[in-house]
Amino acid sequence: MKESRFFLTYAMVVLVQILICNYLNLSLFVALSLLPVIVLFIPIRYSTSLALFVAFISGLAVDYFAEGLVGLNALALLPVAFCRKSIINLVFGDEIFARKEDISINQHGVLKVSIAIIIAQSLFMLIYIWADGAATRPFWFNLTRFLMSVIIGWLLSLFVSEALVQDRRER
Amino acid sequence: MPRERKLSSILISTAIFIILEIAAFVMLRHNGDLQNIWIAKISHSVMGRIWGGSDNIRYYLSLKKTNDELAQENFELRQALDIYKSVAGEARRDSLSSLIEPHSDYSFIPATIVKISKNKQHNYFIINKGSEDGVRPQSGVITQEGVIGIIDAVDKHYSYGFSLMNSGLSISARIGTEGAVGPLSWDGRSYSGAVLKEIPLQYKFAPGDTVWTSGYSAIFPPDIPLGVTGEAKIVNGAVNEIDVELFENFTALRYVTVVENVGRDEILSLESLEGETE
Repeated sequence: MKESRFFLTYAMVVLVQILICNYLNLSLFVALSLLPVIVLFIPIRYSTSLALFVAFISGLAVDYFAEGLVGLNALALLPVAFCRKSIINLVFGDEIFARKEDISINQHGVLKVSIAIIIAQSLFMLIYIWADGAATRPFWFNLTRFLMSVIIGWLLSLFVSEALVQDRRER
Repeated sequence: MPRERKLSSILISTAIFIILEIAAFVMLRHNGDLQNIWIAKISHSVMGRIWGGSDNIRYYLSLKKTNDELAQENFELRQALDIYKSVAGEARRDSLSSLIEPHSDYSFIPATIVKISKNKQHNYFIINKGSEDGVRPQSGVITQEGVIGIIDAVDKHYSYGFSLMNSGLSISARIGTEGAVGPLSWDGRSYSGAVLKEIPLQYKFAPGDTVWTSGYSAIFPPDIPLGVTGEAKIVNGAVNEIDVELFENFTALRYVTVVENVGRDEILSLESLEGETE
């Protein structure tokens, strides 16, 4: 039951991401993505292999239904899924794995959660912007796009993370 | 056991990551024209580096074979050069002679040093050629940089020799091609220092003059460059003793040539005959 509720929430966020990509084009300099945060917030009890499959499928779903460039989101999201446990270990320490607890702002504070989100967002955006530009765009453009996307993505991801945790708390 | 499980789990997830990432790359390549060109460019660059790297490794692994071939070629060139020198010498001695038959007074055998000592007063070396290859005691050992030493004992497949870095060994040397001749021996201190002794005071020379083998020893052919002259000092008010900086680097020796005077037995028997007469 717990698992199915998590994946339902996950699917909802993917749906929101598809809608954002289709209808919320803020600027050429901003690539909004909630995918890194939901991959990062996949409960710790799930293995990296499962996280990789989930990330690949959700990335492809967004690519197929929104972006038109199939493979782009999947390509950028896979490293986040692969490094998910390393990021968590780096920011929150290894006790979190021993206690098998999930990440939340209430428990770990805004700062730690923000750092984890920014690392995941940066990793995602670095590959996303690099592959999207295909070495045709100038460096300053890519840098501006990267910085703006990471900052806006981080703010948005904080709300999403809270929603994900609230969902679990209600359970 | 948990460590093994953890390791296998890491390996599995890494393999899955690589496979899925490649799949994403392939999809991206087939769905975007720009991305197609870009990925093709990256893959060509990576392949180029891999091919270049493997080529370098192959080249490195074949260096031994190349060195052996070069040593063989060097040996053949030395033989050819010796024939030409002999022809040129004959022509100079007898300018009226129109029929000059190329011949050589020396035979050459290429060899490789398998052991060498450098830190003793009586240094030695061992080469990978022996009596079965035609090496005989009292043969000279040279390189294009100079004299290495003299063969002292010969076994079937190996030969033992005294290095020029041996305080008991001296060879006949000449300053310039037609200058004074004297015995040259190791200075006993450095890897490249030697002393040329018994040079009469009336012979003029300058620091930097080349020192060659004289060809008087019945072991070494003439005109092998040995080194250059340095400072000189007068000994007993009668002769000069000159420092020589050798060309040969004894610290990095590998390929050498064994040289034997074909007429040495004849010269020695003539000497002994003369000794008996006296």
